[in-house]
Amino acid sequence: MKEALHVEWTKLRTVAGTAWLLAAVVLLTVALGVAASAVVSCSGLGCGQDPAKISLTGIAFGQAVVAVLAVLAVGGEYSTGMIRVTFAAIPRRSTVLAAKALVVSGLVSVAGAAAVLVSVLAGRIILPGNGFTEAHGHATLSLADGPVLRAAVGSVLYLVLVGLLALGVATAVRDAAAAIGVVLGLLYLFPIVAAVVSDPDWFKRLQRISPMTAGLAVQATTGVGSLPVSPWAGLGVLGLWAAGALVVGGSLLRWRDA
Amino acid sequence: MEATIEVTGLRKRFGPTVALDGMTFTVTPGKVTGFVGPNGAGKSTTMRAILGLDSVDAGHALVGGRPYRTLRHPLRQVGSLLDAGALQPARTGRNHLLWLAHSQGLGARRVDEVVGQVGLASAIRRRAGSYSLGMRQRLGIAAALLGDPPVLVLDEPVNGMDPEGIRWMRGFLRSLAAEGRAVLVSSHLMSELQDTADHVVIVGRGKVIADVSVADLIESASGDRITLLTTARTQAMTVLAHAGATVAVTGADTLTVSGLSGERVVAVLGENAVPFSEVSAHRASLEEAYMELTRDAVEFHAAVAEEAAR
Ligand SMILES: Nc1ncnc2c1ncn2[C@@H]1O[C@H](COP(=O)(O)OP(=O)(O)OP(=O)(O)O)[C@@H](O)[C@H]1O
Ligand SMILES: [Mg+2]
Repeated sequence: MKEALHVEWTKLRTVAGTAWLLAAVVLLTVALGVAASAVVSCSGLGCGQDPAKISLTGIAFGQAVVAVLAVLAVGGEYSTGMIRVTFAAIPRRSTVLAAKALVVSGLVSVAGAAAVLVSVLAGRIILPGNGFTEAHGHATLSLADGPVLRAAVGSVLYLVLVGLLALGVATAVRDAAAAIGVVLGLLYLFPIVAAVVSDPDWFKRLQRISPMTAGLAVQATTGVGSLPVSPWAGLGVLGLWAAGALVVGGSLLRWRDA
Repeated sequence: MEATIEVTGLRKRFGPTVALDGMTFTVTPGKVTGFVGPNGAGKSTTMRAILGLDSVDAGHALVGGRPYRTLRHPLRQVGSLLDAGALQPARTGRNHLLWLAHSQGLGARRVDEVVGQVGLASAIRRRAGSYSLGMRQRLGIAAALLGDPPVLVLDEPVNGMDPEGIRWMRGFLRSLAAEGRAVLVSSHLMSELQDTADHVVIVGRGKVIADVSVADLIESASGDRITLLTTARTQAMTVLAHAGATVAVTGADTLTVSGLSGERVVAVLGENAVPFSEVSAHRASLEEAYMELTRDAVEFHAAVAEEAAR
């Protein structure tokens, strides 16, 4: 396993694309977080806004880049046929998949942590100017605040889980373009489909199983009681999606010819 | 580990296509074993099965007595090159070898050694995507040699190489065998294996048609035939046929005669005043021996014709 980790780390570190994609995760997440913090305003007590969630808006976009990064870690080997070289060197395919999952998780955690820290810091600086003040019932955004810390850490974990979901899907479909389509579809189409469902019960049910809607519940710091699913349980839903994708991908990897 | 490959009764279908139909042969150390057959004969599928990449419906393949997938550091036992293009173009050749070396617990020093061995040092820090096909084949050979393995499995390694590269590859394969390694090299052209292989396993339609040493193969195909060099080709053919020989045209001024001894050929030509410059015992080329051998295998012949028609 140590060797397999070394292998996957060397593979990712020796293509320029990895560094660019990680930089893009940070930049995109921060840029959209800053933009959201800049345009929002709180006019008085009980304005119904969630400052932590607003400052972390960029996660919903940075996740697309994370998905691309994770898909390419597998899809890039299938498109070139290099996967056969990999399996000739390491015949235990589950070890290869586990090593890829760990290395991708590590890289996404680092980029995600940077993106989240800068986003929260930007929110802390920008939001008070837009009416998020003590007078309007909002304390200054701080990681020392329990719910805010949960939103921040949860957002990093959210990105990691999106990466694992994408890795599993890519392993199952073996084609980068198709995998990116499937993952982005799962993430973004679920909320859209839920929105056109008129029945309120079904709406709630769809929201509870939607990987993105449920997963991002972890960012909520206000009105937690009225969420369709509680913050950590929501992240758990995304975790189940990721685990399911990895199990399906891993099983197909064992059964199919390389 | 004993340097052998044993393939026993491999069967595999891809949907309706029977790719392997009881493939059985053994590769022994110290020799280059050619693995020859027309397109679609099942060579690559057999090699993938040996390397544990494709599962089979029946039979088994062992390297040094063990299934490939149970080997701890497989590249230290079996070096392989299936497809020289199977690498990510954005990575340098050196980094490609580096991750492979890491997978076997080897380091950068071993990478530099094999790069020197295949003569790729000047290009190794360039993106592999910029390599010519010949350079990729050399990189693939370097990858196969990383673990200094006693067994090598190479799928059409000279495919796309220029004559200089082919000459280099031949010498290289011979020297690997001379070091006592077992070398299995596939080709769909018998002529590519001339002066390289010691032994050939000839396959068609997923099974072995012949498993012979090259020396025996050429010996038996040469038969008692006579090669005749003459400028009066038509005249010579007429008189020799009249004397009971079977004559085939094998070149502009060359005839191959069977059914008559060399002395009789000279006598018949002399009697009829047909000019000729040389009469010698015929030595078949590997390609000829191949055609001779496969002439009776009707199925197989059809496959060859199919290939020729493409
Ligand atoms: N992945 C696959 N899916 C479906 N059919 C396959 C697959 N791989 C091989 N085949 C079929 O199996 C048969 C054997 O193919 P294989 O590639 O082993 O032949 P080969 O001897 O290597 O030929 P070539 O000289 O063209 O490389 C062919 O009929 C081929 O079409
Ligand atoms: Mg082939």
